[in-house]
Amino acid sequence: MRAFSLGGLGRVYLVLVLLFLYCPIIVMAVMSFNESQFYTLPVKWSFKWYGALAGNERILSAAANSVGIAVLTTLIASVLGTAASLAFFRYRFRGREVMQLLLFPPIAIPWLITGTAMLLFFFWIGIGRGLHAMLLGHVALALPYVIIVTSARLKAYDPDLELAARSMGAPPWMVFRRVTLPFLAPGFLAAALFAFAVSFDQFVISYFLSVPGTSTLPVEIYTAIRKGFTPEINAISTIVIGFSMALLLGVARFYKFGGERK
Amino acid sequence: MTKLPAARTARSLLATAATLALTAGFAQADEIRVLNWQGYGTDEDWALEAFAEATGHTVVHDYFNSEQEMLTKLRTNPGAYDVVLINTAYTGQAAAEGLIEPVSYDDFPHADGISDAMKETAALYHDGQLYGIPWVWGVTSIAYNTEVVSEAPQSIELLWSPEFEGRVGWRDDAVESVQMAAISLGQDINNPTDFDAIAAKLKALKPQIRTFWSSENEWNQYFSSGEFDISVYWSGSAARSANNFGLPVGFAIPKEGAIGWLDELSVVKDAPHPEAAKAFIDYMIDPEFYVKWDTEVGAPVSANADAVAALPDKAFNKVMASDEGVAARLKFLGPIEDDVRQKMLEVWQATKTEFQN
Amino acid sequence: MTSPAKGAPGQAGAILALTGPAYLWLTVAILLPLSAMFYFSFLSEAPLAGKTGEWTLANYRAFFEQGFYGTLMLRSLRLGAEVVFWCFVLGFPCALVLAKSVKGRWREALFLLVILPFWSNALVRIFSWTMMLRGNGILERAIDWVVPGRFRLDIMFTYEAVVIGLVHSYLPYMILTCYISLQAVQDDLIEAARSMGASRLTILRRILLPLSLPGILAGVVLIFVPVIGSFMEPRILGGRNGTFIGTVIEDQFTAVFNWPLGAALSFIMLGCVGVVFALSRLALGRRG
Repeated sequence: MRAFSLGGLGRVYLVLVLLFLYCPIIVMAVMSFNESQFYTLPVKWSFKWYGALAGNERILSAAANSVGIAVLTTLIASVLGTAASLAFFRYRFRGREVMQLLLFPPIAIPWLITGTAMLLFFFWIGIGRGLHAMLLGHVALALPYVIIVTSARLKAYDPDLELAARSMGAPPWMVFRRVTLPFLAPGFLAAALFAFAVSFDQFVISYFLSVPGTSTLPVEIYTAIRKGFTPEINAISTIVIGFSMALLLGVARFYKFGGERK
Repeated sequence: MTKLPAARTARSLLATAATLALTAGFAQADEIRVLNWQGYGTDEDWALEAFAEATGHTVVHDYFNSEQEMLTKLRTNPGAYDVVLINTAYTGQAAAEGLIEPVSYDDFPHADGISDAMKETAALYHDGQLYGIPWVWGVTSIAYNTEVVSEAPQSIELLWSPEFEGRVGWRDDAVESVQMAAISLGQDINNPTDFDAIAAKLKALKPQIRTFWSSENEWNQYFSSGEFDISVYWSGSAARSANNFGLPVGFAIPKEGAIGWLDELSVVKDAPHPEAAKAFIDYMIDPEFYVKWDTEVGAPVSANADAVAALPDKAFNKVMASDEGVAARLKFLGPIEDDVRQKMLEVWQATKTEFQN
Repeated sequence: MTSPAKGAPGQAGAILALTGPAYLWLTVAILLPLSAMFYFSFLSEAPLAGKTGEWTLANYRAFFEQGFYGTLMLRSLRLGAEVVFWCFVLGFPCALVLAKSVKGRWREALFLLVILPFWSNALVRIFSWTMMLRGNGILERAIDWVVPGRFRLDIMFTYEAVVIGLVHSYLPYMILTCYISLQAVQDDLIEAARSMGASRLTILRRILLPLSLPGILAGVVLIFVPVIGSFMEPRILGGRNGTFIGTVIEDQFTAVFNWPLGAALSFIMLGCVGVVFALSRLALGRRG
């Protein structure tokens, strides 16, 4: 039963919005197969730019950096974030609200400002910039997301389940493995994927913290757009988009974005 | 797909191994980092291959979009670069801030071909010490689409003409913009006095400018997709757009004059590989490199007289270098005092704000 | 597991061990940098490379003395407002259709389709618009194909191009937040209203809009804040019309090297964002 049906009109509208959202992405993907360097039309089909990509060490090493930082960010942010959300879940303590409030600056302050502030501070006190600085920044950005997502899952957790299992004589490790872990795992996985995506797509922070010769994929793409580039950028962008989308499908598997799904 | 990813990886591994084997024979194979505009000579693949073959050193690049950005990259990345390309208008500032090292012509065998007058260009010196090796000089003037504009522009005022309303390309650069206005108003480009007139002149560009360009590649893309018909552009880049990319580009030096500039190559302060850096700079002023660069790709005029002499007789740069009419019309970019530059930045920033719709 | 209880002795250690690392990290990577930036904004020059800046208010004064900073700030605020407006106009109906008019597997699939682009790299998506909008680009060709004639859209490098790119970037946020709060509205409530003869418009105005207000507001904040600070989108799509307060701040850090001025402008921007939200809260509070 549809509560507020807009009939066919609603569907048409939805399709139009989807068209708006996907059109440029599809165009870009198509252009990555266009032989012309200056995107002239009509399209002459070619795999030339994907071939060129394989020989472009700048982009490949940037891609390796992106993945490396994202993996480390995921590991660190998941561990630290889960620990913090466990504390929030288990204990009521003074300053709890303040601490939760402190999670918002990374989300609520424009990245331009967080990014330039990191640049200024790291440069000033000698932490310097580069991969380690980017890692520092990415983890800080990912932490609030991890804490929010795992907290949401923890909220739904009923400690009585554990109690029940234990009262039936299950040893603690068994309780953890059979009861606690299976319940919490999807939340952790979603949080980890969130962290990965936040880091992998992050441009602004990386832009201000990159040093010559060491950058991430989005920074390399931006540099290329601004300073001269070839459709290799379309090729890598198409791959990146495909990858990110696959990632989201992974998250969707473990995290109910849409709330109830009947 | 034509090849499997694995095959591609294997191929690139093999290539790397081969390069390693090739370069292993040299006593000191350094990787030097060069800071330059994108597509501006130092990053030509064939040149880097030839340089690696001759010296064993490999070269990687980082790029900037404005001289300001170049200076800030040097300031915030100490020890990261070996060689930097600097417009001589900024050499003094870079030297004063301790961003580049003093050099001596003695370390550069090919510098013998540079004329004494060129070698002694005042802007290359700071506190009596030489800070850069003159590399190429050229002109900032008007490039036009020969398919749309039938006759070479005679006057700089064409940029302000209603005929080209919304058809002009412009570089988002404070100094260059103010200087173009100064030329049209007959003011000194290095020390303009009537900034009000300049501001008014620049504001009058609002209906004219189609878009800003910030790199040569961007220029080529806009030009080839017909975004603009005439544009402020650089002589060497115009040559490249025509030669290398086959675009219908003409380049004109109007009667009011144009901005002449000299680019030099400097060794960066605390460069990790100063010797390799010097070798690279020397290779860059090698006539052999220049002739290939100019004839096959397109370049500004070499500062090395031997290199210009080695060009074919009808080469645009050889003709221009010897055309006294052109030389007389050029206003050479000199050092700009800090307060003048600050004023230029302010005027341009305010003008850009007025540009917004 | 211990059930939540008021801070008993011995817990302090556990709390510290659990939250300490995360908060230490946030302090080093967010809090200290912002504090340092605040400090820099009061210096005459960045205390780097052996220089010592002097205490000054000149950087903040510059904002008020040089008229164009104010103009650009207002321009950025207007951009933020317009992008939010379009995201709402396009996104709310979309969320409504998804939440109340589509059911089952279709809804799940469509919902994923809507937020899928949002998870792909923002930079890449902005870049893809250059190919759509530029002269003789896809859009002009498409229009030319439908309505032949020498038609020039002339939209690349305009303020509108920046708005289009940003709306495309942030629209999924609005759809997402509106969808979540619309979904929480009980269908029974709508049924009841309808059975009492309420028209669609009335239901929308009296039930759906007020009840989804938290979601709409969340969307507004999530969009407004990053748009105010955007610099990459205007640079790529705005051309001559791409100067905003964000691009000026970026310039101070990456080109002009006037970090104290950039810092001061950043905090003025934060202040403006704060004032805008305080004002809108006031306005909302008065109404409801």
